[in-house]
Amino acid sequence: MYRIWAIAENTLKEGLRQKVLLILVVFSVILLIASFFMTPFALGESVKLIRDFGLGISSLLGVLTVIIIGSALIYKDIERRTIYTVVARPVRRLEIIIGKFLGLVILIILLQLGMAIIQQIIIFINEGRPALSLLANIPFELLEIMVLSGILLLFSSFSTPALSSIGAVIVFVIGHAAPDIKLFAEQTATGFIKYLSLLFYYLLPNLENFNYRLEFVHNLPLHADQILFSICYGLIYTVFLLYVTTIVFERREFK
Amino acid sequence: MEPILKLENVHKSFQAHFWTKKKKILKGISLEIYPGEIFGFLGPNGAGKTTTIKIITGLLRPDTGAVTVMGSSIESIDVRQNMGFLPESPYFYDHLTGYEFLKNHALLANCRDYKDKIITLLLKVGLSKSRDVALRKYSRGMLQRIGIAQALISDPKLLVLDEPLTGLDPIGRKEVKDIILEQKNKGTTIFFSSHILPDAEAVCDRIGIIIEGEILKIGSLDKLLKRGTKTDEISLEEWFMQQVQSKPKEATNV
Repeated sequence: MYRIWAIAENTLKEGLRQKVLLILVVFSVILLIASFFMTPFALGESVKLIRDFGLGISSLLGVLTVIIIGSALIYKDIERRTIYTVVARPVRRLEIIIGKFLGLVILIILLQLGMAIIQQIIIFINEGRPALSLLANIPFELLEIMVLSGILLLFSSFSTPALSSIGAVIVFVIGHAAPDIKLFAEQTATGFIKYLSLLFYYLLPNLENFNYRLEFVHNLPLHADQILFSICYGLIYTVFLLYVTTIVFERREFK
Repeated sequence: MEPILKLENVHKSFQAHFWTKKKKILKGISLEIYPGEIFGFLGPNGAGKTTTIKIITGLLRPDTGAVTVMGSSIESIDVRQNMGFLPESPYFYDHLTGYEFLKNHALLANCRDYKDKIITLLLKVGLSKSRDVALRKYSRGMLQRIGIAQALISDPKLLVLDEPLTGLDPIGRKEVKDIILEQKNKGTTIFFSSHILPDAEAVCDRIGIIIEGEILKIGSLDKLLKRGTKTDEISLEEWFMQQVQSKPKEATNV
């Protein structure tokens, strides 16, 4: 556990001390504050605009951070040879992967909490009271981030940061279009296109399983089985990705 | 005496691409390193020194052959508990300070009571004043010294140092040599590779010469250099050049 924490702490510090993260955070905070000044154009929907916009910005910050930092996580360690002294320690490769994953997820949790506090302040100024129900969106956001982190760690274990980033963006886009892809396969496509669409649908994660922003913004009811399915889907997918990453990393030699 | 480190007929090849031919880097290396000695692993560039060290430290796997540390295979990660490693031209996490870096490695090496140990090590390598400075601001010599400190953090029984003296100024080299000798006096076994033959001559008990992936000669410096005889005594540098220029077919033990 100490070894995993040592790697997680190092990953967290590496992320927190990157200038690109500061730029992303400043940019996101400016956008959040800007949403407050857009209310005159919301045609009476200012409450929904601020809530929806805030959740969207938080999500975007999380996804961009995880792509930028996660894509280089293992690759950079190998290229810069910083991994040498770590691998030479009594550390299992699995512990390295879990440590990096945890560090990245903790970083995103901190960012999400920070963004949530700023959003609640803006909502308080606008509505006269905070909308604490929106905080329930954070765990679902994290489940999506966990799946994306797993994908990025897997790509990063054998590919360059640029290719890993491109791969993650493709998974992100297809993942959010998954229900439409299934609908397309079932109702429109035929032959090869149909099977290709279904392959994408079943192979890549369905990130819409974690998207409950609409429900939280509009205070719509959420069923327990929906929540349970999302949690199980996210956790199982993440464990599977970390398992595959470990297998790839286990075979890796450091020339 | 049982060797602390033993390599038996280790072979290693690399293939740049799947369509290119495999290049043999190590061609049946066998070595035995005994407790408490300083063993210098010498050879020209590309001879296979770093590849051997990477196999010993688990960064590479041998194609065939066996490597054991204190009788256990290096495939078991537990043997690394007894090892400290300094890579060639070390690169470390430069976002960490010297103290944070050593703390990180102490935890990786399962050392829980690390605070006093880190302070002692920072003093030993002369980096106490730079403990809170980020590693990206360290000079080459300082990085080498913090690298040695991280290698010593777990009180290893076997210290593996890949070119620890390269890139250091004369004062830095003297300091590193003093640390190596101090560790030997504490009973640590040291296996190190070097290009700097006079320095190797000054600290080593035994040396092994590797050329083109094969061990050319292994033996104590006293015997190899005929120390104590008035007529034939030569320096390691002269002897090394003689050996490299007249490479025999088979390895010999002296």
